Amino acid sequence: MERQEIIDGLVEILRTVRTIDPEKLKNVTEETDVIADLNTPSTELINIAAKAEQKFDVEFEDDDIDNMGSKVKDIVDLVIKVKERA
Amino acid sequence: MDLQGRRVAVVGMGGAFPTCSDLNDFSDKLFSNKSLIRVWDQAVAHDKQVRSKVSAYITDAEMNLETIYSTIVANYPETYVDLLQRIPPGNLSTADMGSIWAMLGAKDAIKMAGWSAEETQSEGTGVVIGSGGCGHALLRPAWHHVFELGGKSRSPGAHTVDRAMVYREAANVSCLIKNRGVCEAVASACATGLGNIGYAYRLIKFGVQDRVVAGGVETTSIESLFGFDAMQVLSRGFPPEESSRPFDMNRNGFVCSFGAGIVCLEEYEMAKARGANILGVIDSYFNNSDGDGDMFYPSFGGQRRLWKGLLGNSGIKPDVVKVHGTSTPAGDPIELFSVVDVLGEEGYHISAPKSQFGHMLGAAGAVEFITALLMLKQQAVLPCLNSVDLNPELENIQKADTWNGPRSPMQSFRHLLPQQSFKKEINTIACLNYGFGGTNSAILLSKDNS
Repeated sequence: MERQEIIDGLVEILRTVRTIDPEKLKNVTEETDVIADLNTPSTELINIAAKAEQKFDVEFEDDDIDNMGSKVKDIVDLVIKVKERA
Repeated sequence: MDLQGRRVAVVGMGGAFPTCSDLNDFSDKLFSNKSLIRVWDQAVAHDKQVRSKVSAYITDAEMNLETIYSTIVANYPETYVDLLQRIPPGNLSTADMGSIWAMLGAKDAIKMAGWSAEETQSEGTGVVIGSGGCGHALLRPAWHHVFELGGKSRSPGAHTVDRAMVYREAANVSCLIKNRGVCEAVASACATGLGNIGYAYRLIKFGVQDRVVAGGVETTSIESLFGFDAMQVLSRGFPPEESSRPFDMNRNGFVCSFGAGIVCLEEYEMAKARGANILGVIDSYFNNSDGDGDMFYPSFGGQRRLWKGLLGNSGIKPDVVKVHGTSTPAGDPIELFSVVDVLGEEGYHISAPKSQFGHMLGAAGAVEFITALLMLKQQAVLPCLNSVDLNPELENIQKADTWNGPRSPMQSFRHLLPQQSFKKEINTIACLNYGFGGTNSAILLSKDNS
């Protein structure tokens, strides 16, 4: 799975998070910080992680979630890592 | 013990009312003797699984809200969208449907009160709102997914706690209005709505707070209807608008309904000084327990003591008694007899708002308190709809050797129970609500005559 494909999927997930201003999703890059740049409450990260599992057909371990950063690249890296692990 | 404290005014009201677009619509329908009860498609869909099929329920569309369901957990409301953008998405994300109703009601009530942002956000402003149910709409699909389908705890997301905790309505309203005073919930089953307003009254009376947003909520929940249906205490066999019939001989249970009632209370002199429109003045609040050791059965002795505590030595005789009046076979006679026992047989009328919208459970006391405020405003008594035939025979409780209440049948008090709304000079209204566990609450509410 290409990184951009994962980013695009992630943006689709972020569109379902109602607390995020859709305008801010127009210029999402790997460096975008979901919490700091998109003003997402930290409680939403677990929702995003669960939706990522569904969308990319992966299953995160508890440690994966605990160690996941809040930048887009952190989530992309994790999806790729878990896919390779599988 | 009656401690002299500060006086408390009611300066704002709002809420969520079945089939009604707003408070004015609610008022118009009530004083036009309309019923808000209808056949509930959700109950009908369960066919023989459930006996009662009627309710005064509220749909998303009626509140201009939309439920967004989870793509991971079937039937789980992931969040809600406010189609009129009254509540910010961040606040919606921590709310269940009832908490949204509470926030909308609080916004309307505060606007009516005319509190400034500085007043609302001060340490002198509290929030005291409770509910009866426990977030069934969220918890049932969430935990079904986890425990029956093997899902992970994270599958429903991070908001099962904040959106289902006992004081979620108070917490959500507090986070919306950003008050710095107390934020709490009182729970006392079907007395919850009035209990929260009564507690808020005490907070102001005894100087703990200057202003309180108070009330009760019961969010639409088919599970709540099922629970009461299992107890066989719900009305069945009548057309919807005739299903709730307090005091009528043929009543066979209450109508399980939903809604929210929120009021703004303020220390009287402060409200007066800023020229607030005073909707009513709370003269007294009293609550007690039956002491009979019975979870369900109402108590004549408990209600008689409730009245004694409410009226004290005030010498006040209310013009209207807004009763609990559930339309259950056991509850109505005891309540009627306790009212007659204290107030006599003349000089007041009984109003039973549940006859028009059923029993809103945790919201009942608050929404019915709002009906009392509307009666003061309109100077008109709301009816006991469907109280068509009253029992001409003595009730079984009256035949017991130990009975020491009124010895006339319910039919003798026909003149106290109007079947239609009518105009009348109203200065004082007594509001009564009771709950499982033998808890009783009462408020005395007066017109501001100063």
